[in-house]
Amino acid sequence: MSEQAIRIENIGKMYILSHRAKGSESLVASIGSGLSNVFKSGAGKSKEEFWALQGINAEIKKGERVGVIGRNGAGKSTLLKILSRVVKPSTGRIEYEGRMASLLEVGTGFHGDLSGRENIYLNGSILGMSKREIDTRFDEIVAFSEVEQFLDTPVKRYSSGMYVRLAFAIAAHLEPEILIVDEVLAVGDAAFQKKCLGKMEEVSQKEGRTILFVSHNMATIQNLCNTCMYLSGGRMIKYGKTEDVIPEYLRASREMQSQDLSQRTDRSGNGKFRFMSFGLKDTAGQSLIAGHCGTELIIEIFARANTLLNQLELAMGVDDQYGQRVAHFSNLVTSSPFEKVNPGDHCFRIRIPRFPLKSGNYTFSLYSTVNGDVADWIQEAGNFDVEAGDFFKTGKLPPEGQAAVFIEHHFEMI
Amino acid sequence: MQPCHGGKAIRPRLYFTHLKTLITSSDRSNLDIRELQRFAGLFRYLSLRDVIVRYKQTRMGFAWSVLRPLINIVIFGSLSVLIDRGEDVGDKFLHVSAAVIIWQLISTCITDLSNSLLSNANILTKVYFPKVLLPLSGLLVCLVDFAIAFVIFLLVFILLKGLPPLSMLLFPLVLAYALFFSFSIGLLFSTASVKYRDVKFIVPFLLQILFYASPVFISSEFVLRYNLPDILKGLYQLNPLVHIINAFKYCFFGAFESFSPAYFSASVLISLFLFYGALRYFLRFEKTFADHI
Repeated sequence: MSEQAIRIENIGKMYILSHRAKGSESLVASIGSGLSNVFKSGAGKSKEEFWALQGINAEIKKGERVGVIGRNGAGKSTLLKILSRVVKPSTGRIEYEGRMASLLEVGTGFHGDLSGRENIYLNGSILGMSKREIDTRFDEIVAFSEVEQFLDTPVKRYSSGMYVRLAFAIAAHLEPEILIVDEVLAVGDAAFQKKCLGKMEEVSQKEGRTILFVSHNMATIQNLCNTCMYLSGGRMIKYGKTEDVIPEYLRASREMQSQDLSQRTDRSGNGKFRFMSFGLKDTAGQSLIAGHCGTELIIEIFARANTLLNQLELAMGVDDQYGQRVAHFSNLVTSSPFEKVNPGDHCFRIRIPRFPLKSGNYTFSLYSTVNGDVADWIQEAGNFDVEAGDFFKTGKLPPEGQAAVFIEHHFEMI
Repeated sequence: MQPCHGGKAIRPRLYFTHLKTLITSSDRSNLDIRELQRFAGLFRYLSLRDVIVRYKQTRMGFAWSVLRPLINIVIFGSLSVLIDRGEDVGDKFLHVSAAVIIWQLISTCITDLSNSLLSNANILTKVYFPKVLLPLSGLLVCLVDFAIAFVIFLLVFILLKGLPPLSMLLFPLVLAYALFFSFSIGLLFSTASVKYRDVKFIVPFLLQILFYASPVFISSEFVLRYNLPDILKGLYQLNPLVHIINAFKYCFFGAFESFSPAYFSASVLISLFLFYGALRYFLRFEKTFADHI
């Protein structure tokens, strides 16, 4: 079991970002610059090198299950894409032996007009299965996916659940020596997810297959992976046993980060009260860079009162990435305005016992009134990330796209 | 070797298990024939997908592949007869129809192949496979349509004129040349389209120009007799399509409209050069498709 499966040496990936110089954006001007671009490339643009990944070295043994963790933009997906040969590294080399299959997406190449049966063959062959392999596993795949009845229906008529189940079923029956999985398990219903994870684990343990697995869900990583690679800002911070790496990752994500609001000019109000900064904290008072769904979250707002204030109302509106207002926190609703606020700096806390929003990026607005008059109002004051967490304490979450907020509930049979 | 598990387990073929893969930062990619063989299954399903999907959810379904060439033959054939009522109406009709079906093959090939990488971007950015499979499978799909058109034309031909002459034996060669030429252009444009979406605007224009610069509707005999500067006539005869279409007509009629061995050889050289250039260009950028698409 100590044979080497993959050797990664000094892998790096650079992208060139080009910034267009700002100028007049009229139609005539853009036609003119379009024509001139044909002759001189890169004119009026500044270019910047961006290393999405740098200096990654690792040796992965046969049968090892490696979890790749890190925040968004840490380079996890880039690493998997390089490993699966979808993109080419800018530096370094990777050597591996045996057949590799990568699942960067569920149902790659699925065609809506083709039937379930046809898509099994198409997707299977895209994932690297031979016709013979698909033939022998066909019945298993169909049984696993639970869509027997609809095998000859075009998949565009499938419900999203059926679609995902069929796609997973094909993926779960891949039997390469090396399997690369990028967070695809985040979709699909919980029970089915568990079934897939079980299948993957079984395959890996019984047959000594090597798995690389990206997930934001620490519980899944802890369950599935014996080794962990922690990436941050394109660099490998730590590579080792899962139980050593995960605490380090969690510690790092608590590092201090607050958003400064004192310099904002796009605000309205009479200025008697000013929002200064914003931050997230956990119950222990440690700063967070992201909220975790299902755990207690403290939103800290630092603000300055310029005079003695009466009847201070504070409110915070939270919008999701589509600009849809999803939450509103206000002391006017939960209790009553602060009666008296002395001049000077103050810290206000909004305490949310079990943060219920799903993972994603949220934008917030801050609003305050003094004695009924708007004192300070900043729209889109800032944003924060929310990471998926174990809201229901069951290790399971509703399927992706099915719930924007989580509501505590209990099922009973009477 | 894999441990056997369960009754249904099968072992991956040997050349998979002992396959060593090396990923480097090198730009160069090669045409690896053994690798292409390994991906033969994918090639088959990609082609099959395009054939099946083409007429999905149409009322007439597969009948379209018969109707399309038939309508084309009728429109262009009758049009040519209406414009120039020559000695032999049937002959004129067949000449133009023949040119139209081979032109249809070439123009759909160029269009489909040029688009083949972009339209498969979702696969391209998610899994590894030799990208040349995409234009290749596009070629196969065009060939299926052509086969049907060809049979229809052959039936019309036999009906009007009887069995085709012995020169028909040259047909496979002509077809191969047509495919070779369309593949080169398609490959070139598909590679360019990854970075430059301008291609989708350029291709229709180019095809329009080629339509008039080839003996589809206007025979090369007519062009060469016409009062044109010699340089234009020379350029016209360097166009490989002129020779491909004329050769295709020759298969059916046993006579060339115009044939100059020197220009023919020059056009073959041009096609070879085009193919070489397109392939080099493609292989040079193959590894960075996913970054740019």
